Amino acid sequence: MAAPGSEMETAAAAGLEELVCARGRNRKAVLCQRCGSRVLLPGAAVFARRELFLPSMKKKTALVANSDPDGDVLQDHWLVNDMFSFENVGFTKDVGNIKFLICADCEIGPIGWHCLDDKKSFYVALDRVSHE
Amino acid sequence: MAKTYDYLFKLLLIGDSGVGKTCLLFRFSEDAFNTTFISTIGIDFKIRTIELDGKKIKLQIWDTAGQERFRTITTAYYRGAMGIMLVYDITNEKSFDNIKNWIRNIEEHASSDVERMILGNKCDMNDKRQVSKEKGEKLAIDYGIKFLETSAKSSINVEEAFFTLARDIMTKLNRKMNDSSSASASGPVKITENRSKKSSFFRCALL
Repeated sequence: MAAPGSEMETAAAAGLEELVCARGRNRKAVLCQRCGSRVLLPGAAVFARRELFLPSMKKKTALVANSDPDGDVLQDHWLVNDMFSFENVGFTKDVGNIKFLICADCEIGPIGWHCLDDKKSFYVALDRVSHE
Repeated sequence: MAKTYDYLFKLLLIGDSGVGKTCLLFRFSEDAFNTTFISTIGIDFKIRTIELDGKKIKLQIWDTAGQERFRTITTAYYRGAMGIMLVYDITNEKSFDNIKNWIRNIEEHASSDVERMILGNKCDMNDKRQVSKEKGEKLAIDYGIKFLETSAKSSINVEEAFFTLARDIMTKLNRKMNDSSSASASGPVKITENRSKKSSFFRCALL
């Protein structure tokens, strides 16, 4: 946890203000970082904080049996409660009770996370998408 | 939040394994970047949004996920499907011959008014072609189904195929709705029926 008022946190907060509107929704469209495919329209999601582990988007990452894949614990997400709010998105097969979200066009991912136990929560990590 | 679309269609891709169904999974960009992680676990379905005649349509497109290896696809997979792409590989005659079996499978398991379309995929590989375009067209005419040759690799006709299928489903739905509203006395009842049907599809489409 960063100390309150640290420089880094202030910078992140300024960046967030650009992305999150006063009502907590995404100000800009959410796009695939790689191919620009449109994932969410402006205003379609709300900003949510939750620690979620997403496997790495890099190609070298191997999913070796009995070993956990490389990845990041990410905190800042766009939260959508209806999967048909997405413009374009792909869902992986189940990994336990998790489905990962990918770009529907170039299939890069995971860009997001969905737990089958909560049918009304679909998370897209801010760090894994671009905004326009 | 208010619903932001006009229609929601569940579509299936069906055909022998190896015909390129997964590549057809409505990918517009040529170069997919499957990370090792994603290709290991596999893709279940995609949601795509298209616009047709000013209507916003959400397509939920499912791949058979390898079930076709067992030559039968269960009723559960067909449930709620409104459109089916029957896919063969133009460089593999067997996959073409099997389209008839797949049609029979659909007739047994899917809803009787499901829209169908036949796709001859891999049309970029003309030098290895085993099935002529005419043969594909003839089969489609015999069954009264639309036909296109596609190439997921070269992005030929992929978009068009999905737009055509979506348009046919929309036309059928609109015709049904007009029929029911013109039946004067039972009109309102029918509308309710339509609505409940739609919401049940919606529910079963949820994960």
